[in-house]
Amino acid sequence: MRALIILLTFITIGNTSHSQIDKNWLLIARNSGNYIAIDGYEVRLMGFTASLGAPVLAPGPTLRATTGDSVKLRLYNLSQGAPHTVHLHGLDVNQQNDGVPSLSFDIEHDSSGYYYFKAPQPGTYLYHCHVLSAVHVQGGMYGIIIIDAEDPTVTWDGGYAFDKEYHWMTSEIDTIWHNDTIINHEEMDGMPSHIPKVYDPQYFLVNGAMDFQQEEKGDINIHEGIETKILLRLISIGNFANKYTFPAELNATIISSDGRPLPAAEESDTLWIFPGERYQILCDPLTEFIDSVRVDYHELSMGAAKGTQYINVVIEGVFDLPVTEQVAITFYPNPSETYLQFSTQAFSYSIFSLAGALVQEGNITDGLVNTERLKTGNYLIQIDSGDNMNTFYFNKK
Amino acid sequence: MKFTLILFGVFSIWSVRATVLVEELWINNGVSNIVDSPEIPYTAFNPSTEFETLNAILNISVGDTIAFTIHNNDSLSHGFDIKNITVPGGPYIIAPGEMITVEVPFENYGAYIYYDAYNYPHYKSLGAAGTIMVSNTTHSVFYWNMKEHDKPWNTAITEGDFEPIVDYDPFYFTINGVSNPETQADPISRITGNVGDTLVVCIVNTGQMTHSIHFHGFHATITYSSENPSHVNREKDTFPIQEMQTMLIYLVPDKIGKYPVHDHNLVATSGNGIYANGMFHIIDIVE
Repeated sequence: MRALIILLTFITIGNTSHSQIDKNWLLIARNSGNYIAIDGYEVRLMGFTASLGAPVLAPGPTLRATTGDSVKLRLYNLSQGAPHTVHLHGLDVNQQNDGVPSLSFDIEHDSSGYYYFKAPQPGTYLYHCHVLSAVHVQGGMYGIIIIDAEDPTVTWDGGYAFDKEYHWMTSEIDTIWHNDTIINHEEMDGMPSHIPKVYDPQYFLVNGAMDFQQEEKGDINIHEGIETKILLRLISIGNFANKYTFPAELNATIISSDGRPLPAAEESDTLWIFPGERYQILCDPLTEFIDSVRVDYHELSMGAAKGTQYINVVIEGVFDLPVTEQVAITFYPNPSETYLQFSTQAFSYSIFSLAGALVQEGNITDGLVNTERLKTGNYLIQIDSGDNMNTFYFNKK
Repeated sequence: MKFTLILFGVFSIWSVRATVLVEELWINNGVSNIVDSPEIPYTAFNPSTEFETLNAILNISVGDTIAFTIHNNDSLSHGFDIKNITVPGGPYIIAPGEMITVEVPFENYGAYIYYDAYNYPHYKSLGAAGTIMVSNTTHSVFYWNMKEHDKPWNTAITEGDFEPIVDYDPFYFTINGVSNPETQADPISRITGNVGDTLVVCIVNTGQMTHSIHFHGFHATITYSSENPSHVNREKDTFPIQEMQTMLIYLVPDKIGKYPVHDHNLVATSGNGIYANGMFHIIDIVE
């Protein structure tokens, strides 16, 4: 009887310690994902999903709580392979909940583990697996965490009001790191473990999308009215640095980094963001325009830009002001044998190999690009029509 | 009498603040045997003729002067200069077996890099670059001299190849000349303390590439940034530090535990492809 009372007391205390849960999150670790690149090349992904039937994508689901919330995160490992964890990057949780396997715990296949923490200051954070992290993060096991202020229309208590927000999480893919033997690696017999030595990515992503894939995602390109205060949440999870170049008309101000307000906000049209960093940018466009945010991907050893993405920005008039008509650019045929016919007539263009080499460029007045001199293979064509810049993938037969 | 006392007081303050510290360093050659014993050719500034991968760490107060004596213990010429500091008569070239002496005043708070400026950046890339911390802090200070190594380049430089460094592809990533897990046995870089302490981390990047250092468990405050003064007072958990940049950060831990600190270019957490034998460390906070 005495033992029963002690047991019941222990259970009660145990339940009480996490009884005030405001937010329950679920992540399921999988290794059955695929990323189909712009050239059709397919690579394997590890990743997190929020439900059993959801596709495995990188980034995983965006997790959201309000500052001060008590959060319970369940990680269910269904990867049929390595153990996994969730590192709550920047949330400053205690050691037990930090997701570093050698210092807390990891979760084997077909098991669950739980993380408990109090949602910290409002801001932009991220999560990722910390088991063999160089491989598992490259594999796709990462996502965004957003902590809202109590008033979700402001950045933090006493901070900036905003109307809309966009999240851009940048990363890269080196296909070598996605070989089956790496993605399917099983439980390690302890550290250390061998990983590829060279990192030389071929694909440069925003929210898991590159070039025309961004339009398909639907939530990357900016399309708002003037005087809409836009909050950009920038998150770097790749191994490269990103240089953002914002159109001057976007009226961008850097307001916070790593979940903390800057001591002094900085108006700037450029921003460098390095692996693991986050920045919040407040944009206050005051005029109509069509342009793009340029994102360069720089490797860190020599600083060279290895890739570039353009995120389209359309700021339209409001009320009775004329609305800017955005005409989507299309082209045919693809694959191409001798020409590409574009729907827009006058533009300059540059054709690049997938390795980034410029192979042809010119100015066009009739929408027709001659491709006869190109060798058989896959290419990117960048169209600069004066108002906007677009990049398209095509195949030359 | 009153004037004499005032003069004596001023002189006393001046003499306390304007200490001249003597530092005698030797430029030595050796090899580094980190991770899998690759025998990477290495050059360092050491406090004796005995080679070690750790460059001498100099900690002085604001207003101090260092009287340097630098010996070249190598059979090739080397150099001496200090980044962001005007060295009288510098930069110096030191012939084999010769030495130079120079007094350098340090008037401003911060962290500085002294380095081999001859055939720059090649000898610096070989490891010949160290830390000068200028502060009046009474808090615990931990020193991180971050450096990566591309062994073929190190070998070529020791063989007299001073072509511009291209195709730089480092596979070894070190803090104070060692990689994880040896880092954790290094009391100079291992951040330890009690809850509520103010812990100062002095970071210098003497390598060729940018490192993006992420702290688990804590945010910390930038109190000095050599290249980005506007970043002072920013509170962050991730600190990019570019080639030949320095940074001082203050960490006040609010909880006990062991928390990693590592490069978030996760390739740099490995050493020659072995995880996690790279720029990876662990903070240890107790009650």
